[in-house]
Amino acid sequence: MNDSSSKEFYTGYRPCDIMICAMSRLIDNDNTVFHGVSSHMPMIATLLAKATHAPYAVHLNIPGGVDPRVTALQKYTSAGSELTHGSVCDFPLSDVFDLSMRGGLDVAFLSGIQFDNKGNVNASVIGDYHKPKVRMPGGAGSAVLIPTVKRAVIWRTKHDKRTFVPKVDFVTTRGNIDKIVTPLCVFKMYKDELILDSIHPTSSIEEVAKNTGFDIRYIDLKYTPLPTEEEMRFLSVIDPQDYRNIEFGQK
Amino acid sequence: MSKLMNISSAIALIKDGDAVGIGGNVLHRAPMALVREIIRQRKRDLKIIKTAGAMDVDMLCFGECVYSVDAGFISYESEFSLAEHYRKAVQGGRVKGNEHACYTVMSALRASVYGVPFMPVHGLMAGDLIEVNDYFTRIKDPFSGEPVTVVKALRPDVSIIHVQEADEQGNAVISGPKYDDVLLSKAAKKVILSAENIVDESRFRLSREKADIPHFMVSAVVHAKGGAAPCSCTDVYDIDREDIINFKALKDKEELTKYLTKYESIDRT
Repeated sequence: MNDSSSKEFYTGYRPCDIMICAMSRLIDNDNTVFHGVSSHMPMIATLLAKATHAPYAVHLNIPGGVDPRVTALQKYTSAGSELTHGSVCDFPLSDVFDLSMRGGLDVAFLSGIQFDNKGNVNASVIGDYHKPKVRMPGGAGSAVLIPTVKRAVIWRTKHDKRTFVPKVDFVTTRGNIDKIVTPLCVFKMYKDELILDSIHPTSSIEEVAKNTGFDIRYIDLKYTPLPTEEEMRFLSVIDPQDYRNIEFGQK
Repeated sequence: MSKLMNISSAIALIKDGDAVGIGGNVLHRAPMALVREIIRQRKRDLKIIKTAGAMDVDMLCFGECVYSVDAGFISYESEFSLAEHYRKAVQGGRVKGNEHACYTVMSALRASVYGVPFMPVHGLMAGDLIEVNDYFTRIKDPFSGEPVTVVKALRPDVSIIHVQEADEQGNAVISGPKYDDVLLSKAAKKVILSAENIVDESRFRLSREKADIPHFMVSAVVHAKGGAAPCSCTDVYDIDREDIINFKALKDKEELTKYLTKYESIDRT
């Protein structure tokens, strides 16, 4: 785990590609999988999983097109009618929520602005709820999905001490978090504690520790597998416009 | 009975202080012509209800029409970033941001559809939202004795919805994703529709495809070509990027008025 040499060796890999592939591999072939608004990375990860190791995973989304064959992704949305193109049936958002409530949703991709190592998620406010310093867009489905979905997978493209904090300002929700995928690493929930699952080969444990507001604990230290050639080839077909990099400032 | 009317008469049905449900989802099929007319008519203290809103709610906050927003998510998506007018209005204490999960908005609307005062929500079992908001509470399940979170019913006085086709009576078809619009139409006391095309009733009588929204729940039908623009309308038009960027760059009320004036002749024809 030599920090400097590994970094140089892996500079060809972008965080967005490593994150998308890590997210894609969390989808199993027999899973129902949901993503919502502002979710280009999970949308592309789901399409990648279906194109590679999980062809029978069921892709659910807000407009309700089940298993769409998306011909052209949109830059500005992950909730538009392109997600009904080539789909096999209608299962709109209200049905997806109902499914999760009765225990039938396997994976949901969600996000937030602050996380602590107890598994609390803040997607609401910085400061006081009634007099917020910063009002965030809101958790969308998080508050009811994270407690009910079998595995909530969180992705967050910022990994710093303002995001991974000792204690969140406001608990929008907590519950069945499986993994949190960041540009530096993957965290996992283990016995009610958020611990390190794997470090991206482009980062290092020192970098993760320096940018995390709570103590990094782990059971065994491993690297996140890099994207394979096959995955990168499918990504260029699924997402030729590189929308997977939007959250990293792609214009 | 024909309910076809001009946009000014339709929006005149909305009173200050009304709870207003808005159809569509983020930048898709939002009833923007109706929203712009609400601002032109200077409606005040509206209680906005929407699962996931973007430009519609942002513009209404900019126009100072809003008392509160009950929603699960208010923001543009990735490309256009945050809804700054909504955000500043909540941060400045001018608008009450009632945070829901999108599903608790649906559940609250379902309560109104079913004619009951509240609705149990299984998923809302953890976190601070239950404590800080008076529209959520925990009660005891009278059968099992277990705690269950309930959400208070949301009953729009008016729901405003944009559709691709409607007849003069108010039978309406939504092409593509319907989002929560049918639910919003059933939960509301009144429904105001804007439609890309006004079709003859025979469109439904002679077809296997029937209307999604039935005429007897609709109070007003407005013919509004481009009524969702600059948001998208499935099968008719995609978003107008340039216009959204222009709107986001507006600095003050004066510039907003100019922006709305530009649309006035289109919206009011």
